[in-house]
Amino acid sequence: MIRSRRLVWAAGLGLVVVGAASCKKKEPPPPAETSAAPAPAPAPPAFAVQGIELGKTVDADKKVAAPTTTFGRKDTIYASVTTEGAAPSKTLSAKWTFQDGQTVKEQSQSIAPTGPAATEFHISKKGLWPAGKYKVEVSVDGSPAGSKDFEIK
Amino acid sequence: MPDDKQPKADFSDVEGGSSSTAPPAPSSGRTYTVVKGDSLSKIAKQFYGNASQWKKIYEANKDTIKNPDLIYPGQTFKIPDA
Repeated sequence: MIRSRRLVWAAGLGLVVVGAASCKKKEPPPPAETSAAPAPAPAPPAFAVQGIELGKTVDADKKVAAPTTTFGRKDTIYASVTTEGAAPSKTLSAKWTFQDGQTVKEQSQSIAPTGPAATEFHISKKGLWPAGKYKVEVSVDGSPAGSKDFEIK
Repeated sequence: MPDDKQPKADFSDVEGGSSSTAPPAPSSGRTYTVVKGDSLSKIAKQFYGNASQWKKIYEANKDTIKNPDLIYPGQTFKIPDA
């Protein structure tokens, strides 16, 4: 009698163990393999001069609204240099020369562009400009980056 | 015989300026005052360890340096970061 009770007890205990095992919470599936690291952001374009425009005025964006290469003898002459790219430090220079090779003015502007930008250089004269042909040469850190001819009549 | 030579144009009263939409480059604020015997190459060697970097100083001081071969004691130049 006692033996049969033990058997029943043991059988019951076994069922409980099996039940507990079957109720064991399933392990969550392992996380899927992460795909390759996200592609790094594309590098900004290298700094470069895109264009040089001449005019009699510039707007708030330092761009010439009405480009021209002919000026009057009392005009202020603006050269707007548009650039692209980022750089921690770049020195833009403008050298203005007369037709005989004489230097009219040299200017420079150090910038730390973070993207597209426009830089203006301008010259004016207290007296009248000598009539003739002129040129403005733009350089970046001393390396030529473009030039523009113009005339004063 | 008439003199064909035109008088040289005078640009001594030319004024100018510049501005940009880009932020100004950070400046170290370093300056250097020229002493007798200096040259841009010598100053570049002193600050950058490389005499060929003289053009960097020249570019940053074009408003005051008319001829890079001629600098004078007492002139003060901005020294851009290397």
